[in-house]
Amino acid sequence: MKFQIEDVTVYFPYDNIYPEQYSYMLELKRALDAKGHCLLEMPTGTGKTIALLSLITSYVLAKPSNPVKLLYCTRTVHEMEKTLAELRFLHGYQVKELGPSAGILALGLSSRKNLCVNPRVVSAENRDSVDAACRKLTASWVRAVAIENPDIPKCDFFESYEKAASDAVLPPGVYTLQDLRAFGKQKGWCPYFLARRMVQFANVVVYSYQYLLDPKVAGIISKEMQRETVVVFDEAHNIDNVCIEALSVNVRTQTLDGASRNLSRMSQEIERLKATDAGRLRAEYNRLVDGLAQRGDLLSGDTWLANPALPDDILKEAVPGNIRRAEHFLSVLRRFVQYLKGRLQTESVEKEGPVTFVASINSQVGIDQKMLKFCYDRLHSLMLTLEITDTDEFLHIQTICDLATLVGTYTRGFSIIIEPFDERMPHIPDPVLQLCCHDASLAIKPVFERFQSVVITSGTLSPIDVYPRLLNFNPVVSRSFTISLTRDCICPMVLTRGSDQLPVSTKYDLRSDPGVEKNYGKLLLEMASVVPDGIVCFFVSYSYMDGIVNSWHESGILKEIMKHKLVFIETHDVVETTLALDNYRRACDSGRGAVFFSVARGKVAEGIDFDRHYGRLVIMFGIPFQYTLSRILLARLEYLRETFQIKEGDFLTFDALRQAAQCVGRVIRSKADYGMMIFADKRYSRHDKRSKLPSWILSHLRDAHMNLSTDMAVHIAREFLRKMAQPYDKSGAMGKRTLLSQEDLEKMVNGVEEMVF
Amino acid sequence: MSDTHVIKLAKYKRVPGLLKLTKERFIFTPNDQKSGVKLNVEFKIVKGHKFTKEGNKQQPMLNLMQDQGGNYIFEFECFADRDACREFVAKAIALYANEQLSSTEVERRIELLQENSELQTLHKQFVSGGILTDDEFWAARKKLLDQNDSRRPKQQLALKNETWSVRQSNIVTLNLPALPPEIIHQIFAEKPAVCEAYLKFVPHKMSNKEFWNKYSRAQYLHSTRNIIAAAAEAAEDEELAVFLKRDDMLANEARRKIRRVDPTVDIEADEGDDYTHLPDHGLVRDETKDVLDSQYEPYRRSFSQDLNQHSAVVLQGRVVDVELSDARSVAQALARKKQAELSNDKTNTKLETELSNRISRSAEIEDLQGPQDPAVAPLSIKDPRDYFDSQQANALKALDDTCSATKPLISSASAQQAYDSLRNIIFDINEVGLNEPIMNQEVALKVLGGFTQSISSTKFRIGNSPNDSILDTLPKVTKEELLHHWTSVQELLKHFWSSYPLTTKYPNNKVTRLKDAMSQVYPKLQGMKESVESDFRHQVSLLVHPMVQALDAAFAHYDADVQLQRDLLRVERNAMGSVIFSGHSFC
Repeated sequence: MKFQIEDVTVYFPYDNIYPEQYSYMLELKRALDAKGHCLLEMPTGTGKTIALLSLITSYVLAKPSNPVKLLYCTRTVHEMEKTLAELRFLHGYQVKELGPSAGILALGLSSRKNLCVNPRVVSAENRDSVDAACRKLTASWVRAVAIENPDIPKCDFFESYEKAASDAVLPPGVYTLQDLRAFGKQKGWCPYFLARRMVQFANVVVYSYQYLLDPKVAGIISKEMQRETVVVFDEAHNIDNVCIEALSVNVRTQTLDGASRNLSRMSQEIERLKATDAGRLRAEYNRLVDGLAQRGDLLSGDTWLANPALPDDILKEAVPGNIRRAEHFLSVLRRFVQYLKGRLQTESVEKEGPVTFVASINSQVGIDQKMLKFCYDRLHSLMLTLEITDTDEFLHIQTICDLATLVGTYTRGFSIIIEPFDERMPHIPDPVLQLCCHDASLAIKPVFERFQSVVITSGTLSPIDVYPRLLNFNPVVSRSFTISLTRDCICPMVLTRGSDQLPVSTKYDLRSDPGVEKNYGKLLLEMASVVPDGIVCFFVSYSYMDGIVNSWHESGILKEIMKHKLVFIETHDVVETTLALDNYRRACDSGRGAVFFSVARGKVAEGIDFDRHYGRLVIMFGIPFQYTLSRILLARLEYLRETFQIKEGDFLTFDALRQAAQCVGRVIRSKADYGMMIFADKRYSRHDKRSKLPSWILSHLRDAHMNLSTDMAVHIAREFLRKMAQPYDKSGAMGKRTLLSQEDLEKMVNGVEEMVF
Repeated sequence: MSDTHVIKLAKYKRVPGLLKLTKERFIFTPNDQKSGVKLNVEFKIVKGHKFTKEGNKQQPMLNLMQDQGGNYIFEFECFADRDACREFVAKAIALYANEQLSSTEVERRIELLQENSELQTLHKQFVSGGILTDDEFWAARKKLLDQNDSRRPKQQLALKNETWSVRQSNIVTLNLPALPPEIIHQIFAEKPAVCEAYLKFVPHKMSNKEFWNKYSRAQYLHSTRNIIAAAAEAAEDEELAVFLKRDDMLANEARRKIRRVDPTVDIEADEGDDYTHLPDHGLVRDETKDVLDSQYEPYRRSFSQDLNQHSAVVLQGRVVDVELSDARSVAQALARKKQAELSNDKTNTKLETELSNRISRSAEIEDLQGPQDPAVAPLSIKDPRDYFDSQQANALKALDDTCSATKPLISSASAQQAYDSLRNIIFDINEVGLNEPIMNQEVALKVLGGFTQSISSTKFRIGNSPNDSILDTLPKVTKEELLHHWTSVQELLKHFWSSYPLTTKYPNNKVTRLKDAMSQVYPKLQGMKESVESDFRHQVSLLVHPMVQALDAAFAHYDADVQLQRDLLRVERNAMGSVIFSGHSFC
């Protein structure tokens, strides 16, 4: 269907539209018009992604003079694939309606690990070894040698991509990572480098948060984006944590040992180079005198992760004189590593700010703040000069330089915490130095400054006023939409008691109580016998899940559950978890039915949908609070209280409840879908906890469902499922339209205008 | 010119020489032996041919196109030579084209013949008898062949969703009850390393019993979750270590399977994208990890892993069909299965498109879309007739309750009466208009009921009810002979009628062949009629009659058609429009 939103004709690939999608588009359009940032919360299951994509692509079509580019950031690769699939559907519709003039180029971008098609390279274990394996074949100096010596292996895909030069382009269309790989294979071009280059020509780019937030990556990937770009962060309820992670570093003894090894290898290389090709070192020295800004003469294959601090002025400054020479720089690093080793040998927990830390470095080993600040760039310049290709071996020293640059750049919003052992296991020495960032706004600041419209959206952004404070920005539009349901297709319940009427909770004192474990097990067992297809369970942590599953196994409850459904479980191993998920879906597809055990804050909770028959019921066992004794968390809470006047308790509850809401919020995909959510903890019945849940869940939580025991919950589940099985009118009852056709929409728009005039 | 080869003078790349065509290949020998443009090419690789039109002032040329591009162009002295070669080449290529059936197709045909003995006799009779070619025979059975793709895999037996665990008391006394074969199957399927070990150790190194005792011991050690103790014991006992160590085969398999995972659940891909997964980046995880020396690392195994593997195996179902009596045969069958899967994987290319289709399907939001045609799933009913019969019986039962089954519904009315009644109805409609609903439900129900009943009563009178069927009263030999004649006559007639209109030479030939075959059926039918005992002769002739009639009709059509062709020729000679007449013959 197509319709007008003010002066923009929106092309929407479906025959009907939800009213909340329409208002979402309207708000978004106003934010774009105002060239400002916006914050939009809309429940899952209301087609947020397609509404957003439709509006922005239509906006571009309506204003061809102002070609706005869309940068769509997802948290995970699978979300990227889903977004691109929706975009492809939309694009197909727009081309059908408008002809080839609506054609766009949209692509997903990921690392070499996910894009490489060279079988020898991609078989490497992890991301860094793939990167290194690629560099070994494509670095400019390797290729230069290979011209003379044909025995040196090259990458055929990269070579033919280079040969095709500017002819190597992607024709318009929507490319998922898989499409890119297929295209690369077919043409014989390297999909990774092709995609990297096409990013600047593409109308829509979908990639991971890190590509914008992590300054190390953002420097190369995203530097060519113009100001008019619209940046979207989807599923952004955790964006503050991502920002913080991006600027945090931890250092252990292994890291320091590794760094020392790296340093000695580099000094060997320098010695060798001095003997054979001293000119190269001199050339580097001269380049550094001219300043880092001139290092742009490096070839495309060699570009490195740029400075984590990112301020523009650093690039124009010259590297301080005392680390320009390679040997001098190495000795500075050696001293720094030595200093860190000394700090790790502490007996007690130490905590300080970056300023004190830098001062202590300066006084003890004579490295000043400016030298620290340039470490990251200086290291990479050196590694390029030394022609090091096995970069995965040098991760440790990179971490150290990361740390140095961060403490050298920022004076506030960070703390350095040194712990000699883990609080929970004091007998095992495991010293760690943690540079932790507390201020999420630091990482996202450049994004807000550089791009005129940044859209932050998710299904759960409650309470919505926290985010502008945490991220320190002023949205022009900030709205939370509710969901208008045709029928009560979501059924949230708060379960406070087990079948024996005793309270259930994951509170510390009740956590390992066998009675609670049994009650939780009984709840799942009863539900497994009533609910068809898929059931998803979330636990508060891995260790809790392992414990309770083992105890269920021993007490035979698990065996009983397995009589009804297959059981799959999330583990630390991502490969295994992925396969378990795939099998889980297959079990649901085939009608066998399955239960999936997962962890709140885990990878599955982060972005896997359990819609339709993949999840008819989600049980949240307990409240997923963070480990409150963690010093890092305490330091952050302190910072939040001092800077933003956010109370500790409030933040912890907010954080736990957004995780819980995120876990249960993925059961429905559309208004035709249905699902139940059980919050199984007595603490949910308290108003201060419950009220932090998003309003769209709260509005469907009836008073009668707020204090249930297992038998009552089972009864409600039976009733609910029976009700959902009945046919219903999709467009909603009179007066309350929940599905709009084109005609309805036109009427509605006209009606509004009449009212205005 | 003979059937087996053709030799003509021709030029290839402007070199004059001799072109010799045989059924398999064409050979070009230049007159000048030194010129070096010799050719000796098999027709197998020739994909098609092109030629120049006569009379366009063009040279008579023939272009043979090769499979992988590239072609051979011959220039002839005159068109007659060229045409002779062209026809021969066309035949030769056609021959190979037929042979180029995919092997799966051939396999499928053979399978069908094996499954269906009736089909087999027909095939033997007509194809081996030279009346129909293989292609013609199968062309009429496209549907049968096509079913191949939609055919569902046979239903598999499931495995029990139960984990097997060892009781401690049994371990200590080493007094284990023999494992039931089902559990052995499950263990082998869940733990390929155990399966492999079994094949390796039993019976050369240890007995069956010893093997299972050792396995149980390992399981027990796992259940104690004392990794260090397990490692210590494994260090002493090489064989036990196999059970205690992590299953490398599973890990390999996982790596293989991960490539086929739906990208929308692929968490593993994030690992490759996300920079915060790097060691030392980001914040230290809250989760405690138990630190373990690297030497113990291979012995770490979690219950979750086993649980996932167990469910995956149960979901897959029982993959081997062998009798589960013997652990060894189960192990071998499983090992073979694994091997087959591995080789299948390499050839499977459809997977990627299938996956991307699945994603785009799931990307759409159903209830926003306009009304769609309800998806109709084909009923998987083994024999539609059986189903129909059984449904009839049900319908009849229901009918008996409501109205008397004996009441005749069809009354006799003269044509005039019927016409009047119809006219009245039409007048009524003219005046009043159609009422809603058009049909009176009760009347419709009654008619439908009566109809169903009449069908079922017919069935009970002359259907395959053993008492009444005429066929069943006949001796078995006669019955089978009759049925056979029926099917073969049907087959012939089907091909006969589908050949019309005779537009080209090919169907013409076919019809001639079919006509000959049909004319041979008459005496056979006659012979059969005479050979049966006099009691049955009447019934048999009744049954044969429709066959003869059908054949007669075919012959009549054939004769008329021949006559028409002749007329047509005459008419053409008179330079009249032939379109109308040929149109007639097509009717």
